Amino acid sequence: MLNRFVMQLAGILLACAGELVFPRLTASADPAAEHTKLELVSEQDAIVPGQKLWLGVRFDLQDGWHTYWVNPGDSGEGPRVEWQLPTGFQAGPIQWPFPARLSTPPLVDYGYEHQVLLMTAVQLPWQAKEGKIETIGARVHYLVCREVCIPGEKQLALSLPVRSRAARSRSGQLFEVTRQRVPQRAPSQWRISVASVANEFVLNLRATTSLESVQFFPLNEEQIENAALQRTSLIPGGVRLHLEKSKHLLKPISRLEGVLVIGSAKAYLVDIPVTNHSGAIPSQ
Amino acid sequence: MQRNLLCSVAMVLLFVPSLPAQRVGEAAPEFEATDSNGQTHKLSEYRGKFVVLEWHNNGCPYTRKHYESGNMQRLQKEWTGKGVVWFTVISSAPGQQGYVTAQQENDYLKQMNAAPTAALLDPQGFLGRLYSAKTTPHMFIINPAGVLIYDGAIDSRATTDQADIASARNYVSEALGEAMAGKPVTTPTSRPYGCSVKYAH
Repeated sequence: MLNRFVMQLAGILLACAGELVFPRLTASADPAAEHTKLELVSEQDAIVPGQKLWLGVRFDLQDGWHTYWVNPGDSGEGPRVEWQLPTGFQAGPIQWPFPARLSTPPLVDYGYEHQVLLMTAVQLPWQAKEGKIETIGARVHYLVCREVCIPGEKQLALSLPVRSRAARSRSGQLFEVTRQRVPQRAPSQWRISVASVANEFVLNLRATTSLESVQFFPLNEEQIENAALQRTSLIPGGVRLHLEKSKHLLKPISRLEGVLVIGSAKAYLVDIPVTNHSGAIPSQ
Repeated sequence: MQRNLLCSVAMVLLFVPSLPAQRVGEAAPEFEATDSNGQTHKLSEYRGKFVVLEWHNNGCPYTRKHYESGNMQRLQKEWTGKGVVWFTVISSAPGQQGYVTAQQENDYLKQMNAAPTAALLDPQGFLGRLYSAKTTPHMFIINPAGVLIYDGAIDSRATTDQADIASARNYVSEALGEAMAGKPVTTPTSRPYGCSVKYAH
């Protein structure tokens, strides 16, 4: 009788404890995970000794939520990936796809909505043993924001067999699509110059492609005002972009480094020396 | 008084769009704001003192990093102890994260053992826009002559992790220490890091 009572009481207490503790634990363990799914994916379905393997951290963000570019802009923080690799594996830097301009006046952030793949090339060692299954780990620190921001941390893992040849995995196409959005070096025949004129950087771009719309995303923080309108004007053979200097920029800079997005799909990496002009804007 | 306040608010509103954003080395814009105890403060009343402005949102993980660790309270106590006027400024709009009533803010200050000189309530975002406050936290320092001498982050580690505080360079303490010693400020600007200020849309 007493035993049954104790058991019942224990049952009720457990249920209560479950109610009280479990939702809290799940809610506080990783509340960011409610707004984005993360997965570690590979372009190929196997590890081939001596070759390069493209891995990526895929974010699937809930509608209305975003995460950030390497330069997050006015607020926020870009994701960080800590790799846990088998011996001899070497991961390169993240190949950041060009971001979207996320505007919440008076601020502008640079980031991603819906889905993004942060790709990294991993050099595989020749010594990898065929037939073995290797596990690659990645610990991802990230921030997701809507009106509010939530930091998250997620441990990801992916196991792949070592084989003499590999085929495209089911994530292969996402890598292909993402590669189109990773900035390429600007073609060498393009003529790009940047002049520092009063409170602006004036960027002249003469390119061998149609320049219907041009946007600049700075790679370094606090060089330009992120939220300022990027005024464009036509110059012979190209366009001119007026970039307002950041009010945090107290000293001249020697180079302007960033991504030029042309139209809505092509992005180019540029790193341009800055010339200082006190007078008129040069036409070259 | 009320009328005066309204007028000055209207003046600020009128002038903000045409004002170029102030830079470090220039005069800090004058403001008048009301704190959580209903007292009004004008920046010009504090000529002769260093003034710190700390943008705040109690729900933002970057703000929480510095409050739950006790770092912000330590800074407030240390520097107000040395005669600095420290204003916590809340520019979250009603309905947005971090918006508080005067009573809620007073409860929070007590609960967190926070020690600013006062917490200025700026639900319309006038003060925030006047200073181009972008993030929480975002820190400004004004010297005794009324000149802005620091505009930027609280420290050098732009994360939400409390463990990073110990290894970070605290730009606010550095700048106040240097300026009080009559030295130039080594790092007068930095990228402020944190959540966006939740301005009214």
